[in-house]
Amino acid sequence: MKENIDISVDFAGIQLSNPVFTASGTCGYADELADFMDINCLGGFITKSITLKPRKGNATPRIVETDSGMLNAIGLANIGLDAFIEEKLPVIEQLSVPVFVNAAGENIDEYVAVVQRLAAEKAIAGFELNISCPNVAKGGLSFGTDPAQVAEITSTVKKAVGEKVLMVKLSPAVTNIGVIARAAVDAGADALSLVNTFTAMVIDIETGRPVLANRTGGLSGPAIKPIAVHLVNKVYNEVAKDCGIPILGLGGIRTASDAIEFIIAGASAVAVGTANFIEPGCAVKIVEGIEKYCVRKEITNIKELVGSLEVK
Amino acid sequence: MNTIAEKKLNETFMAGSCSPANKRLFSAVVSVNKQIGRRFFRLELEFSAADAEVLANCQPGQFAQLDLSATALPPAEAIPENLVDVASRKILLRRPFSFADVTVKGDKTFVDILYCVVGPASLRMTTVSAGDSVSVIGPLGNGFCVPEGKSITLLVSGGMGAGPLLYLAKVLTADYPQLEVIAFAGAKTASQLPFEARLDEISQQLGFSLGEFAKYGVESIVATDDGSAGFAGLVTNCLTEWLDRHTLAAKDMIIYSCGPEAMLARVAEIAEERKLDCQLSMERMMACGIGLCQSCAVECKATDSSETTYKLCCKDGPVFNSREVTFSL
Repeated sequence: MKENIDISVDFAGIQLSNPVFTASGTCGYADELADFMDINCLGGFITKSITLKPRKGNATPRIVETDSGMLNAIGLANIGLDAFIEEKLPVIEQLSVPVFVNAAGENIDEYVAVVQRLAAEKAIAGFELNISCPNVAKGGLSFGTDPAQVAEITSTVKKAVGEKVLMVKLSPAVTNIGVIARAAVDAGADALSLVNTFTAMVIDIETGRPVLANRTGGLSGPAIKPIAVHLVNKVYNEVAKDCGIPILGLGGIRTASDAIEFIIAGASAVAVGTANFIEPGCAVKIVEGIEKYCVRKEITNIKELVGSLEVK
Repeated sequence: MNTIAEKKLNETFMAGSCSPANKRLFSAVVSVNKQIGRRFFRLELEFSAADAEVLANCQPGQFAQLDLSATALPPAEAIPENLVDVASRKILLRRPFSFADVTVKGDKTFVDILYCVVGPASLRMTTVSAGDSVSVIGPLGNGFCVPEGKSITLLVSGGMGAGPLLYLAKVLTADYPQLEVIAFAGAKTASQLPFEARLDEISQQLGFSLGEFAKYGVESIVATDDGSAGFAGLVTNCLTEWLDRHTLAAKDMIIYSCGPEAMLARVAEIAEERKLDCQLSMERMMACGIGLCQSCAVECKATDSSETTYKLCCKDGPVFNSREVTFSL
């Protein structure tokens, strides 16, 4: 790091060496990206969604590429809490990067069960509450679209996290994301992450059927970036700015320039998702690019950039 | 080449599983991108001395992910009519390709990929030319294994599935001189056989032999659905006829197969009926190829229950034991 540039971030009380995370579901459980980068060079790491019981996930095809994006309908396939604790936690314990566990479930009790079991683990910095997965029949997105349900799940899980940070991951598939963000913050969310993927469909015109076995999937990648930047800016202005709640901005980031847009819009940190699939290790390059930008723009502390959007 | 090949499958054999070399991101240089027949191409990539060792140790059945997003489209007149609409689509994700050959020449390693034009990415792939750089992630997945006590190996391919079996034929003949290797190459029609060379002069009973296999001393038997070359009918029917004609002990044989899913399902059935060992190289749509995205699920029988489970084509495969895969066709 350049001596006179500070890109470290205080993220709801957690000290991050830089503002770049890898996003849940795109970077494995722990060290899967280690062949391509030093994971400890990240600002933060978010695990794949963990549910109380293992989940097989959806039938295939689970993905399809679209113009500048992709749809996925994995269906929260994961090894389940017990296997996560047994197999992956020891690996996480070896990492120095702050690790957030993305928690998911079919009902509030399942979210609480996941969080409660992990809340005492020193290696876990916090939790990302997944109330915005579009690809499961129960839970997921259904918790994230109604302010009353958002408040209920957030306040209930908040009681189980103890001293850990609770970040709530928001869906873009709502009429007014500001209302949802407000509900989460008022119910005790320490941070917000946005956005999850957009529910979308691709049709095979030869068969007349949807390409994905799940019919719909979540759209991610560069195609959603301008919408995500707008939504981050909206939540920053309407909710986060005044109450000092940090935003983790994500949606189509693959370069430092993309990340900086989110930071200017109001994100304290950013997460790289789909881009990990194409260039696994690009997150570290994004950290370097943010530093270079700060040098070029004579920004001594990245905080100056957060929410610095100039509007005439 | 022999020593490398030997190390490769012997290590596999010793370990009892096919532990892959460390995967990495490489920049490779295109040395050849040549059209074979009307629909097929052979891409040869050259890796620098610094990268050569990792690639030289990769196994038949492993694959690489190529980034073709920055590759130009061919001129409009070279775009097949059925691809005109999709040609305009931007490419985001990498595309997986099995190794059709790996050769070491001096301190350089050359990797061959066989491909055919099926969509916007492979269409763009046709325009890369010698000297161009291509970003490659590999080697990925687990390759074919050779169980103890086999004396006859049958390679069964459908269409483009011949790629990884060509590389396997090379390594098997180099490493296991005691093995008899016979290749069954199937396609819908003669023009859809992804081969360059026909060696009719050394042909076997069916009067059509493939130079690509013959150069490793491997006999090839061609089958086309329409009878335009070799056996008239499905390659799986050709295989069963061959098995009926040859009275061989099941325990001495193993089938290695790669091709369309319906063909693999039938090969698995034949193996099951005749109690033959069989390994299948599967294909799935995949985003990352390194186990992150969980897209490329292959439904498999669970070991501890009657339920099925999903394994990942990229990480647990692409080569699977035919007994573990559940086909739903």
